Amino acid sequence: MFDYPIFEMPFIGQRMLMAINAIIHVFVSHGGAVGGSVVLAAMAWWANKKNDMAAYNLTFKVVMVFFIISTSVGALTGIGMWIHANILSPNAIGGLIRVFFWKWFIEWIVFNFEVVLLLLLFMTWKKNQQTEEGRAKTVRIGVYYAISSWLTMVIITAILAFMLTPNFDGQPWVDPTVYPGNVDYNNALFNPTWWPSLAFRTFTSIAFAAALAIMWTWIIATFSKNEEDKEAKARLVKFLAGIMMITVPISAAFGYWYYTEIPAAALAMIPTAVMTRAFEDRFDLMYLMAIGVGGSIIITTIIAYFSPKRMPYLAASLMVAGFLILWGYEERVREFIRKPFLIYNYMYSNGIRTTDVPYLDKVGILKHAVFLDEDKKVVKEDKSNILDVGKSVYQIECRICHTVNGINGLKGLTAGWSHDAIRNRLNNLPGGGTPYMPPFVGTEAEKDALAAYIKSLNVKGVIK
Amino acid sequence: MNWKLPFDIPLITPTLGLPLEFFSILGIVVFVVHISFIYMLIGASTASVIYNIIGVFKKDKAYDQFAYRMTNYTTVSENMGALWGVAPLLVISVLFTGFFYTAILKVSPHILHIIYGNIIAFLLSYAYKFSWHALENHKGFHIAIGLSAVLAFFTLPFVFMSMSNLYMQPELFATVNNIWDIMFTPVTGFRLLNFFLSAFMATGVVMIFIGARWVKNGDVEIGKIAISQGKKWFIWATPLNIVVIPLLPFVFTPRISEALMHTGFIYLPFVASILLIIAVLFVLNKFKEEVITPQSALRAVALVLVSVFLMATTREGVRVVSFEEPLALQAEATTEFMTASLAEYKKYKEEMANKPAVDMNDPVQLAEAKGCLACHSVDVKLVGPSYKEVAFKESDKGIIINTIQKGSVNKYDVIPMPAQDISNEEAEILANWIMSLKENQ
Repeated sequence: MFDYPIFEMPFIGQRMLMAINAIIHVFVSHGGAVGGSVVLAAMAWWANKKNDMAAYNLTFKVVMVFFIISTSVGALTGIGMWIHANILSPNAIGGLIRVFFWKWFIEWIVFNFEVVLLLLLFMTWKKNQQTEEGRAKTVRIGVYYAISSWLTMVIITAILAFMLTPNFDGQPWVDPTVYPGNVDYNNALFNPTWWPSLAFRTFTSIAFAAALAIMWTWIIATFSKNEEDKEAKARLVKFLAGIMMITVPISAAFGYWYYTEIPAAALAMIPTAVMTRAFEDRFDLMYLMAIGVGGSIIITTIIAYFSPKRMPYLAASLMVAGFLILWGYEERVREFIRKPFLIYNYMYSNGIRTTDVPYLDKVGILKHAVFLDEDKKVVKEDKSNILDVGKSVYQIECRICHTVNGINGLKGLTAGWSHDAIRNRLNNLPGGGTPYMPPFVGTEAEKDALAAYIKSLNVKGVIK
Repeated sequence: MNWKLPFDIPLITPTLGLPLEFFSILGIVVFVVHISFIYMLIGASTASVIYNIIGVFKKDKAYDQFAYRMTNYTTVSENMGALWGVAPLLVISVLFTGFFYTAILKVSPHILHIIYGNIIAFLLSYAYKFSWHALENHKGFHIAIGLSAVLAFFTLPFVFMSMSNLYMQPELFATVNNIWDIMFTPVTGFRLLNFFLSAFMATGVVMIFIGARWVKNGDVEIGKIAISQGKKWFIWATPLNIVVIPLLPFVFTPRISEALMHTGFIYLPFVASILLIIAVLFVLNKFKEEVITPQSALRAVALVLVSVFLMATTREGVRVVSFEEPLALQAEATTEFMTASLAEYKKYKEEMANKPAVDMNDPVQLAEAKGCLACHSVDVKLVGPSYKEVAFKESDKGIIINTIQKGSVNKYDVIPMPAQDISNEEAEILANWIMSLKENQ
């Protein structure tokens, strides 16, 4: 990270910047595209099989909503993940692309099929709906669309799983002592959490998409001026609830499998990941929350299945909200438990490779910071630039998770700390109740400068 | 020259043994597809608004229908354009990782406009298309939606072109500090001029072609509008572009322009201009004819496409000559860094292997291993109280054990102590040690 230009996102910090994009993308790509494609294809197939033209026409209106959101918000935040990752940690995403380039290229080819099929499905629907043959064609396009959507998730899940569990059977995916590193591509791809996370994501996506489709079917039919839509609503809702009754238990089972594959060190991070630092001791609250949210989803599903006409709108939207909460948490936990690493055991959260640490401890983290001014790299004899140097160290090592004064701001975190306390804390960052922090990397002089800088956030002027 | 370059990623580049030229050609092909869709997006979205307005003023349904049909082209080209924009970036980010990511960081956070601004533009363009019939009687409002979509699309090249101009000229990494430093420069201005002219030129020629097909399929009235308007677009934009194109290689930094002069790439823009001159003459020749066959329209399309391909190749040429020196410098610096780093790492590994194991029964080593000393020391108050202070204040060992395992709040200071992952036996050892410090006083 030290060798790239410094970019600091004010107040919200880079981490939150990425999180905003990531959360939007996960919701839309899983609910709208991957799960959505399966659910929409199933709706078209079912309505066509039952020869239920009212339901078939209503399905098109739902397709339109999914089309608009998937192609705009979904696709662009997907590209956004990459650009944001670049801003957050160029060395990490650069490394991942070196390892997964051809897989990503294949994903891009599959993604072409996905987009073209979605465009075809949507733009030829009206033309095809007149005849039996045409409708069968639409269903076929829907099925191909669903397959290609799912395939795009296969690869990206492998990459996410790799970041958590890069090693397989104790065989390293790359020998850390060789330059340039020769990657064992198969080992990187077939990592232990790939299959369980893929299975879990697949079925949760379908369940989530069905919940979304119930909500949209409800909205569209209720506000439609067309009587047929209103009358088809209950039948479609019942069908969608049926999909949920199958997929919710399956995804829970795969979720448990996924859980069992997570390494022990990462599992230990879960309480903090779920409850945030302030509430990490109240892990029991998480069970209550999971039971509450999960339970309400299950109950709503049962109501929707057995009494679709009486299904109130509030319940449909609550169900979607429940999924959003669970999924948002799942993503937060997955990102958090990887700490203090970005790629487990290979690269720390702040983009510093573990193998570079002994060297950087010796020569200093700022020595190779090409984009920093020379007078902000080494503390002068009279210590006149110590705060500048300290700020440089902060920008390189801390800024990826901390801000000065905003979210996770150092000013608030160290309010009331003495200089000695800060200096001593830097000696053992992963200790003292924060196992998710990477160690300080750099020389003792740089540590002094960083301590002085952090102290100066609360107390103006240089101490010591 | 003041080069500021990041190190390369110390992992093998997955080229599958293919030569770099293969990736150059791959990059050019995917870029041509991408830029063709983007040209269509800019042109079609503009056309769909202009002809909507003309339809209102002329009270002519045919213009309205033509404008509506153009929104289909907007929808397809915005989706395909975004999608095919990813592939060139994927290729350059694996081959020239440091340059691409440095350029992105230098123009952050404004570069995110290509994500969020694009989402807004997409949604506006959908709103425009899908409300066409519903807002039939509110044309003013409807056109305002379309116009804002077009304006949103028009902002994107400014941001993206700034990034790519910085990426292609790595010597500017040392001096450019934000997006404005590169956006308001002749190179970006000139290349944007070429971009918009090419967009209108390409859309013009495509409009002639689709118009010819509509006429052939029986949509004579709308087809004729498309043909006649397409001709106007093409004849207006292309001559200007013919002048701009040969000048493009000379807008880059002197180092790059000079190096380009000594390669074959320098001829390509001239060839592209000549092809466009032929295309202009071809269209002028048929300017008076109301109807053109799709075959002859396709000839004009092909000429334009070849010229776009030649320009994309020139662009790749600029990249090749520009990166030659910095790539070599980067490789050298990376090797030097990694050699020093790995030597130190191996030394560290050996030291670790020879180091005696931590004695978990020794309280000082235990406290060190468990991270206690991050916040406490024996004599001095740090984040938490010194152990001597604790020993002095507490008389009950049980309280200390409890505090270690469960944490405490507001006892010594406002900073709380979090719960520690320490077993009963270990806590006992630590508590005994802390209590013993009192006796030493």
